[in-house]
Amino acid sequence: MRTFLTTILLVAMLSPTTTFAKDFGQGVTLAEETAISSIIDHPENYVGKKVKVSGLVIDVCSTRGCWVYLAGDRDFEKIRIKVTDGEIVFPMEARGKKATVEGVVESMELTREEVIRRRKHHAEETGTSFDPATVTSGETILRIRGLGAAIPGL
Amino acid sequence: MKWRRWNYLLHRDIGFLCIGLTLLYAISGVAVNHISQWNPSYRVERIETNIGPVLGDPADAGTVRMILARLNEQGKLESSYRPDRKSLQLFVEGRSIMVDLASGHVVHDRAIPRPGLREMNFLHLNHPKKAWTWFADLYAVALAFLAISGLFMIRRKTLRRGLVLTGVGIVLPLFFLIVYL
Repeated sequence: MRTFLTTILLVAMLSPTTTFAKDFGQGVTLAEETAISSIIDHPENYVGKKVKVSGLVIDVCSTRGCWVYLAGDRDFEKIRIKVTDGEIVFPMEARGKKATVEGVVESMELTREEVIRRRKHHAEETGTSFDPATVTSGETILRIRGLGAAIPGL
Repeated sequence: MKWRRWNYLLHRDIGFLCIGLTLLYAISGVAVNHISQWNPSYRVERIETNIGPVLGDPADAGTVRMILARLNEQGKLESSYRPDRKSLQLFVEGRSIMVDLASGHVVHDRAIPRPGLREMNFLHLNHPKKAWTWFADLYAVALAFLAISGLFMIRRKTLRRGLVLTGVGIVLPLFFLIVYL
């Protein structure tokens, strides 16, 4: 019994130690980085393609960790990184850290009702207020379907 | 030694080994089952305050220092972001401080980990990946062994009750499948 318990203890000690992993999902493999501003300015060049972007994590889904917003390389710009629930879970501690994310650029045409529904849901998640009257038309949403990420310093 | 004796000994000792993990998965299971109603790993604390209008250039380090001083913030500034011309977002040790420059209204967000639950969810949802994946697989195999070996521990005296309860345990998930699938 003593040998058995010692073996278990050794295996546990030698296993890779992790607090919150700084690599998520498939990790980051692409060599070339794409500027977020470039994706925002010319989405037609990137939709459906896999890109690597980096930026400051300015917000994290507070319920499931299923999305983050990355700040763009220009002022007042950001892009949403959406990941499959459970596959990648971003911890709240990622806020304020620089992240490198890899994923496929997506463009979604939303009706006014869909925009209202999404913003209402986002407001509920972030605990902020939202007035549906501020939405006057549908819009095109640009986002990255995140496949992997690396966040140093976590 | 007879196989029944081996079955009993393995069931008992593997059962002991599984107690800790079963409790971990059970507690975390309830917590993450209700993920649509709450964040099972963090509690988000939001404090709103007002520091008065911020007149300086938000891109200037002096202005940022002044904001932090007005907030009496002692933590280390990690980074900042301009969501729009009217606001400035500061990150101090994992906390978010959103400042409306004109009004001085500040929303201070802090994610506080739920002690114990965050760690249990971390393991339950297999965030560590790596060796934990294999360990969790091993635990699943152990649970399957406990279930099957338990069947062979049914004695003649309790055979009827054992079969009925085992049947109920199998039929219940099938019932929910029929209703919801």
